[in-house]
Amino acid sequence: MSFISKLRSGKFIITAEISPPKGTDTSRMLGDAALLKGIADAVNVTDNQRAAMRMSPIAACSILQEKGLETIMHITCRDRNRLALQSELIGAFALGIRNVLVMSGDHPSKGDHEGAKPVYDLDSVQLLGMIQELNRGVDLSGNKLDGKTDFCMGAVTNTELNEAGLLKLKKKIKIASFLQTQAVFDVKRFSEFIEKKSEIELKQSKQIKIIAGIIPLRSERSALFLNKVPGIRVPDDMIKQIKDAKYPEVEGMRITSDIIKELRTLCDGVHIMPVGNHEHTKKLLEMAGLI
Amino acid sequence: MIISRQKEFNDILQMLSEKNIFIIGCGKCAKKQRVGGEPEVQDMKKKLEASGKNITGWTVLSSACSIASWNDVLSQNPGINKSDALLVMSCGGGVSVISGFAGLQVYPALDTGSLGGVCCNEVVTEQCGMCGDCTIWLYGGICPVIQCAKSLLNGPCGGAVEGKCEVDERLCAWDKIFERLKKLGKLENIENIHEPKDHMKKTRVKKT
Repeated sequence: MSFISKLRSGKFIITAEISPPKGTDTSRMLGDAALLKGIADAVNVTDNQRAAMRMSPIAACSILQEKGLETIMHITCRDRNRLALQSELIGAFALGIRNVLVMSGDHPSKGDHEGAKPVYDLDSVQLLGMIQELNRGVDLSGNKLDGKTDFCMGAVTNTELNEAGLLKLKKKIKIASFLQTQAVFDVKRFSEFIEKKSEIELKQSKQIKIIAGIIPLRSERSALFLNKVPGIRVPDDMIKQIKDAKYPEVEGMRITSDIIKELRTLCDGVHIMPVGNHEHTKKLLEMAGLI
Repeated sequence: MIISRQKEFNDILQMLSEKNIFIIGCGKCAKKQRVGGEPEVQDMKKKLEASGKNITGWTVLSSACSIASWNDVLSQNPGINKSDALLVMSCGGGVSVISGFAGLQVYPALDTGSLGGVCCNEVVTEQCGMCGDCTIWLYGGICPVIQCAKSLLNGPCGGAVEGKCEVDERLCAWDKIFERLKKLGKLENIENIHEPKDHMKKTRVKKT
């Protein structure tokens, strides 16, 4: 069953994040993919994440789909203008890619090519709108396409949003089919986000699926590092639990699987994005009772 | 006002291969920002002389980007005709206009940053993105094209931390826009989806 069918069916979704290689050697990426095959409903393939140059997601997705994995191709507004975005998208569709995740993208100054020209010709809401047009069979200038796309569109969100952030979320909910969130550690705060999302759904008479981000905790150091990432907050008591544990990585797995268990009733799926590779992802999902 | 900053002196020295240099300051924006008025021109003269250059003269034009008669400039500044090159302490607009008249090598002493202004004696940078299609009123007078590091038109990205932009210490432009519109009672301005900018309106190519 395809990702979109599973999403519609109400199955609790499992997605996992894979980074394309920094170079032409795909062996490590394929290693990760092998660990996820049969476990993840789809794998997310990042687009020069953190503005660090890597293989293009369209190439990486294509390689992964050949290996039998369904992909969700990330597409940021940072590196391409509206022509490049559209040609990339119709190319991706022709290659069998059916799901895209749209985001603004980290600014080039945060990455490994600091002097690169930031493009941002469109923002994430406008990009969603443009994909909607491609799905209708026309480009952004209104020209008819010879063969339309049929993308399942996702957007991203932080779960702690101020009023300005909520305003943008409303616009994303209008267009997208699913939302993938920044990593969740505080389930109570996440449930407050879900309440806000439900209010928007009610007002807009449109439902959206929520896939919660999960970053397995590994050590006190990694937890402290994550706390510096925009949109992530690891609660103090959780950091203490890891710090006091005899085997921090084991404790991290326990904490993370508990979070996933709690999230099952709150949202439509989880998105696993470990720091490093996916060697423990299967175990984590087993501990959470998902597989 | 055009916001400019002085280049590093060593970078200026590296540019200037010629010996006999005439310095031109600008009495408008560069003077206000203290990067191209008389004191800065004098300072530049001293430094260049100390570095072995022959300064043939200097002047501060009332506005480097707006020159009625180059002949008048020449007759008032005979040193120009004895020079191998001009060093212009103005924005790129002034350097460009003077280059068009001068008929000799013209060097910029400043780097041009943005279109800003002065507010309560404080220079404010990046006030206008010069997109050629001004919709600043929709955003409470805060230009998202230039004040948001990603020029986002439909709300903030997720990169701000405690109200600070992902890129540097500036406040998130979208927080400012939201607060301003809230005060004005105009939040409806940004509730609908804003379409992408038409870059033909700022492009150097005119539609024929």
